Amino acid sequence: MKVQESDFIRQKKPLLTRLLNRLLEEFPYASILAVDSKARLYSASRRNISVSEDDLLTMRGFVAKVSDGSHYAEYSFNEVSEEKLEEICRKVHDLAALSSSILPQGLEEQEYPVPTEDPTVFEGSTEYEVDPEEMGDDAVLEHLKALRDKGLSLSDQILDVYAFCTYQKYTKLFLSREKDLLQNVMWTNGTVSLMASRGEEIKDYYKSYSCLGGMELLSQMEAGVADGVGMVLKLLESEPMVPGEYECICDPEVTGMIVHEAFGHGVEMDMFVKDRALAPSYMDKYVASELVTMHDGACAAKESATYFFDDEGTMAHDTVVIEKGVLKNGISDLQSAMVLHTAPTGNGRRESYRRKAYTRMTNTFFEGGTDDVEEMIASVSYGFLLENPSSGMEDPKNWGIQCMVNIAREIKDGKLTGKIFSPIVLTGYVPDLLKSISMMSPNVQLGGGGYCGKGHKEWVKVSDGGPYLKARIRLG
Amino acid sequence: MTEQILAALAQLGIKTYLISETDKESLECFFVKKRLDLKRSTDTKEVEVTVYRAFEKDGKDMLGSSIVQIHPGQGKEEILDVLAGAYRAAALVSNPYYELPSGRKEEPVPANGRFAADGLAESMKNVCQELFAADHRTDVFLNSAEVFLRRHKTHILNSSGVDVRYETYDVWGEYVVQCVEPQDVETYHQFKYRDLEAGDLQKRVEEAFETTLARARASKAPKAGVYTVLLSGDQVKTLFDYYLSRASTNMVYQKYSNYEVGCQVQGGQVEGDLLTIRLKAKDPYSPEGIPMKDRTLLEEGVLKTLHGGARFAYYLGVEPTGKYRCISVPVGSTPLEEMKSKPYLHLVSFSDFQMDDFTGHFGGEIRLGFLYDGETVTPVTGGSVSGSILDVQDRLTFSKERYHSADYDGPFAVRIEGLRVAGEA
Repeated sequence: MKVQESDFIRQKKPLLTRLLNRLLEEFPYASILAVDSKARLYSASRRNISVSEDDLLTMRGFVAKVSDGSHYAEYSFNEVSEEKLEEICRKVHDLAALSSSILPQGLEEQEYPVPTEDPTVFEGSTEYEVDPEEMGDDAVLEHLKALRDKGLSLSDQILDVYAFCTYQKYTKLFLSREKDLLQNVMWTNGTVSLMASRGEEIKDYYKSYSCLGGMELLSQMEAGVADGVGMVLKLLESEPMVPGEYECICDPEVTGMIVHEAFGHGVEMDMFVKDRALAPSYMDKYVASELVTMHDGACAAKESATYFFDDEGTMAHDTVVIEKGVLKNGISDLQSAMVLHTAPTGNGRRESYRRKAYTRMTNTFFEGGTDDVEEMIASVSYGFLLENPSSGMEDPKNWGIQCMVNIAREIKDGKLTGKIFSPIVLTGYVPDLLKSISMMSPNVQLGGGGYCGKGHKEWVKVSDGGPYLKARIRLG
Repeated sequence: MTEQILAALAQLGIKTYLISETDKESLECFFVKKRLDLKRSTDTKEVEVTVYRAFEKDGKDMLGSSIVQIHPGQGKEEILDVLAGAYRAAALVSNPYYELPSGRKEEPVPANGRFAADGLAESMKNVCQELFAADHRTDVFLNSAEVFLRRHKTHILNSSGVDVRYETYDVWGEYVVQCVEPQDVETYHQFKYRDLEAGDLQKRVEEAFETTLARARASKAPKAGVYTVLLSGDQVKTLFDYYLSRASTNMVYQKYSNYEVGCQVQGGQVEGDLLTIRLKAKDPYSPEGIPMKDRTLLEEGVLKTLHGGARFAYYLGVEPTGKYRCISVPVGSTPLEEMKSKPYLHLVSFSDFQMDDFTGHFGGEIRLGFLYDGETVTPVTGGSVSGSILDVQDRLTFSKERYHSADYDGPFAVRIEGLRVAGEA
């Protein structure tokens, strides 16, 4: 079934069209983005139950963006009515004229052209199988409680099981002189996190699940509980990593984190504009092993970061970033593309209507290869199988990489020994790491359970992944 | 809007509730080099309603709750529908009974300081002036910056009499410093102020320039091994946040932390400095309307209080304090010069220095450090450091020098012996 348009957006569209036309009387460019988003969180742990709206993702609001012909200004608001139209127009006008009074001596305003637009009318909806609202809060919560109870029942050593699920269903409307775009999207995420204690230290292990769709996701979550219990108990016996550079096999989740942190951030073209990325000087050069082909795009996969158009009204793309080891393209928002004289790639995304649009990743992944996973492990004389990534940080300027990984399974003479090391800090120089990739498995898996920040803020939903890969990596 | 919500709650027979209504205004500037790339303003009203529902389950008293947003422009029927949905959801949330904070209508707490006096536009000009005041060098410069000036007017009321209002201003943002010779590098910095502290932001930018110049001279990672490490600045706050997190009623009630008032959190035999942490109240009230005041969290390593909201405090039988994130820590007695008299690795900047509140493990990739081998000091970059606070907390040494940021006031540096570093072979 298709996600339905929000009644609120449908009712407000005539008013927003009048607001747009009123702004276009004063400004050569104006656009309105309207968002109606509903998101709910469900969780069950040993001593806590929760069913609430997600206050970060539940919102109704608008952004009016204008250009006076050379400078841009944006006004975010969440009250619109016939009576308020003039007040909104006045606030946009005042903001557009504000620069001279807030800029100290020596600073000036960047000049931009007015964007050219092709006439586009679009309406699209993603699909789902089980509507969370039809399923009901009680049924969702019962499912999570069952997962929790199953995890707790499997071992007395389990301190807690936190079963969590969330969905976001949103409608976005983008209006400008030439564009009238509407999209209705829903994604769902779930996590089962298990905890066990070793004295004061609490070890945890999580399995996350995601889909572009609805509560059909819940049926996938049960299978991982027993494995999760086994893993967290093994973590109790884990040892700290002996720092060094090792042959490593990365599972698709760790591959996804490397794709995202190592290279995805490095090709966000707003960083090119600021001279904060090394990538421009490596265009059409080898930056990775010839085995590596990398994609990013809101229509490159069906996952949590899939949409039809971005928050600046650019239609979604499937961008080939690296082709057989050679850097081919970056990803960009509209304003960066204007500076760089390139075509925008549909990656202009906002955390919410309250925030600025930046170049952001969407669904980012490596294509698969031809190697069998067992053969990959057998090829390692001494190294680790890396699993369960937790977080990472980008460094587009210097191509450093930092990923935190929960589990390194020891491999000796081509066999897993059963010994586990944790936690792991994975670091290195991105091209060294990507050029060291020597094997890749065929199957690509994406996970969309996480959020991506720009620096330390601006959280947006992303997915990432790829195949199992073999590379040489510094672990600490 | 509050009246509409109260009327709807009454119509639905919902007797227990918490309403938080915030008018938010902001002015935002985004710079690339010395050019204003984009200016933004926001003007929103955000209303969150927590609906509570008391019921019995298996002979025990329960209090469920569910949080919903009420959006400006929503009509009476839609508000009724949203609140009724929340009331139904609250019946599913079988958490043990607890009591909401009680209170009364209090006088509004106005914002003070220069931001409040000058308003958003004038304050923005002043902040930008401070930010760019040092940016006149050719060897090192501001690559880009973002400045967010905010005014929030918050009204919190609940069904137990709490009815409080307060206003806050703050500025926060980030800046990136670039140096192109001898190698093209950048460093990332954040700032946050409740009021403009004349000269402070300019001084921080000047320090960031020096850090970035040093980063440009650093080309190698330290050799892999075990080091005496000095952590400084914001990393020290991240380290101490472990204790703040473990002392929250949320962590303790759920048995994720074994802290109890009176316990020695640094272990039995502490050979290093004993830790004292004061909790600093930044807002006059917590999101539940609990009056916030400065408190002592740790005194000489001994836990004095647990902090957190009403629910978990009720379960644990302690006073609800609201949740704190700002701390002050008395400085130590060891001068930085003395810390640096023996070989050390002073780690100044990380990609993202992290502390895991569950495991106690901390670490991160090294963006800039200074390695002293007993003879020379060499800037280093790359590799990573990792350790466990549980392994080292009994042997920490705090510097005599002080550092302060929006959420921290305390020792500038902490010396930790025996940390593993992943670096050059």
